[in-house]
Amino acid sequence: MASRRRMLLKVIILGDSGVGKTSLMNQYVNKKFSNQYKATIGADFLTKEVQFEDRLFTLQIWDTAGQERFQSLGVAFYRGADCCVLVYDVNVMKSFENLNHWREEFLIQASPSDPENFPFVVLGNKVDIDGGNSRVVSEKKAKAWCASKGNIPYFETSAKEGFNVEAAFQCIAKNALKNEPEEEIYLPDTIDVAGGQQQRSSGCEC
Amino acid sequence: MQEAELHDLSDDADYAASQLQGSVYMTRSDSTKTSSTTEPEGAEVVYLKDNVTIHPTQFASERISGRLKLIKQGSSLLIMNWIPYKGQNSNARLSEKDRNLYTIRGVSFTDVRSIRRHTPTLGWQYIIVVMSSGLAFPPLYFYSGGVKEFLATVKQHVFLVRSAEDANVFLVNDFENPLQRTLSSLELPRAVSVANVPLPSTSTPLGELPPNENQDAGDGSRSSSSSLYNGRTRQKVHDPARDISIQVLEKFSLVTRFARETTSQLFRESLNNGFAVANERRAHGLSPVNSSHKLVHEAEKAPEEVPVAPDPIEFDKLTLVWGQPRQAPLGLEEWATYLDSEGRVMDSKALRKRIFYGGVDHHLRKPVWAFLLGYHAYDSTDAERDYLKRVKKTEYETIKRQWQSVSAEQAKRFTKFRERKGLIEKDVVRTDRSISFYEGDDNVNVHLLRDILLTYSFYNFDLGYCQGMSDLLSPILFVMEDESESFWCFVALMERLGPNFNRDQNGMHSQLFALSKLVELLDSPLHNYFKQNDCLNYFFCFRWLLIQFKREFEYGRVMRLWEVLWTHYLSEHLHLYVCVAILKRYRNRIMGEQMDFDTLLKFINGLSGGIDLDAILRDAEALCICAGENGAACIPPGTPPSLPIENGLLYAQQDDEVL
Repeated sequence: MASRRRMLLKVIILGDSGVGKTSLMNQYVNKKFSNQYKATIGADFLTKEVQFEDRLFTLQIWDTAGQERFQSLGVAFYRGADCCVLVYDVNVMKSFENLNHWREEFLIQASPSDPENFPFVVLGNKVDIDGGNSRVVSEKKAKAWCASKGNIPYFETSAKEGFNVEAAFQCIAKNALKNEPEEEIYLPDTIDVAGGQQQRSSGCEC
Repeated sequence: MQEAELHDLSDDADYAASQLQGSVYMTRSDSTKTSSTTEPEGAEVVYLKDNVTIHPTQFASERISGRLKLIKQGSSLLIMNWIPYKGQNSNARLSEKDRNLYTIRGVSFTDVRSIRRHTPTLGWQYIIVVMSSGLAFPPLYFYSGGVKEFLATVKQHVFLVRSAEDANVFLVNDFENPLQRTLSSLELPRAVSVANVPLPSTSTPLGELPPNENQDAGDGSRSSSSSLYNGRTRQKVHDPARDISIQVLEKFSLVTRFARETTSQLFRESLNNGFAVANERRAHGLSPVNSSHKLVHEAEKAPEEVPVAPDPIEFDKLTLVWGQPRQAPLGLEEWATYLDSEGRVMDSKALRKRIFYGGVDHHLRKPVWAFLLGYHAYDSTDAERDYLKRVKKTEYETIKRQWQSVSAEQAKRFTKFRERKGLIEKDVVRTDRSISFYEGDDNVNVHLLRDILLTYSFYNFDLGYCQGMSDLLSPILFVMEDESESFWCFVALMERLGPNFNRDQNGMHSQLFALSKLVELLDSPLHNYFKQNDCLNYFFCFRWLLIQFKREFEYGRVMRLWEVLWTHYLSEHLHLYVCVAILKRYRNRIMGEQMDFDTLLKFINGLSGGIDLDAILRDAEALCICAGENGAACIPPGTPPSLPIENGLLYAQQDDEVL
């Protein structure tokens, strides 16, 4: 048992170009923000060890190119995902309108076994900009959309200021864990997973 | 909120028509059918088309024509065959081997991911069949038409939907994850053995090459170690129902044998060329002759956890012979000797060769890049170039005014423009900002990047803007220091690299395909390793290829690499050999540490900034020479940076796409 690998949870971050996918990932994993990130070409990922109810997991967070034209690559990168994070910029209406497209695209390309219940988390990023005066997507509107798609958990974040990023990713990890099929969990105390599942509904639904 | 339609083909009027006519076409095909049909019991030819052709080299005149068939086996299995005609090659340079290399036999549609059709207004229609592994077959040109009927027939037998993102892409069996399914079936425990051992029922016309003939000294040791390593590879459950994938492997195996023939031949040649000494040295534990080389290899050696199949072509030694030492960059005085009194380049080949081996001094890049990129003709005079510069400046300004004159009111009603501009503005502010030229707030050069890219997206509205273009433009503007000149040099570069950014990604797919073929040719153990570890799609090299290694080296080195690549001196596709060279340099770590797809991608991304360019260029040169014509045959015609083959519509268009 001791020789088994620590459990890996795979998370995919999707969303329009420039909404802050790379920044969110780096803020969460490295607690850093830079104005000088380059546009992501292809894909990359970072990993972070997370503890959840006395168990350690490796969260593998995939950052992908945001331009629609590169979506055909998704099939190689999305497979085996445990949770999908949809990001938009609260200051750009189009990036919010495209969430639906990203969600559907993910379901097509990753083809999870149970698409109805596959865990998504939505992040409305860049709430810091202009003190919130330039935002065009209201929290209410975003939450309504999340509710219509099966109560997707929703967070408003600022990758620049680190606002709400930790909380969002805790929810993401929890949901990814929920998705992991039970037989792949090697620890004997699988009851914990069920516990985690129940907690999710109170813990991170907004 | 987004276009989710187009999931069905029935929206396509052409399509519906072709389906109605399907039976007519079928009858016509049947009438041309010869009596030599030797399909197995219970199999039925449901589609047959003659004069379906591939172009194995970049020369349109060199082609292999054959017959394309769809065969229905049993109640649900659809098989595709494309068999070249015997003895009808257009050109003597295309050997029997080429024919066999490209033969498509027994490919089941359960292993096909998608079919992309190209129907240029001028030129021949063609399709590209993309396998679930991410590999694609070379384009099949329908000289006698019939793409529509082909797709209609496929649709009658397998589940075919039009891709939501590209109306010319048709997804096969998209109701479950075909990638996972097929890759797991390709990962048969005996995959390597299947590829190496004579195939029982294949009627491969490679008769002149008995499968075991090449088990000479060098080869023998390789196959034993590769089977050892195969035995240690993690094995997945083998589902006998998937045995059909053996037929896919059969296709691979043809290439494998082809590669083995080449490599063993090389090995023999090396022995004759005095390598015996080097080999002996090695056998006695003496260090290789070139100590600097040795250092590099030591540093990149894997922790010896897993026995790694040895490099079949004794790569480090080849470099000693063929990869010439890099020279100092071309300087001002020497440059003058290449020019006549009126400023013409007298011997462009000699110039390109010189730059290939040493690059160009930075202050000379401005004039030289314009030649290398094809913006200026080598035989133009100073006066002609000055004139062209003025004419082109006016032309540039005209195109630029097209978007500058879009008023705010007009932009409100011009979504495509607004979004394109937004995307460009987002990208230029994150392009090379650490270089002093682009540093700081409100940098004028960043504005120039934006203006040039936006103007380009009007100049080439069909292609538009795509991420990665700003990376390609940045060094050009840095070198040319002039808006209009940079624009036209960028235009010249995009003539060759445009397909990288095309919506259907055909440029990228053909390069990834060619790369996989080259690795198979030049390092079959590494190829087999990738095959067994679901890495055959080569997506981990995507960034390298899309922007010509722009993110892999520091700025100055990128410029050096680019000018070497742009000489097209040994090959238009030296960049593919650069990929192979890098992979080979790290092959022992990749296989020794048993990297899976994720680990490999992370590893490759992490190489950025740590690759020794000069050493890699020498390796790439050696590999390119070593692969010779066999290497060139791995690269489908029109693969970037070759100029596109068709003259008609350059870029796939799609009216309903956003950008």
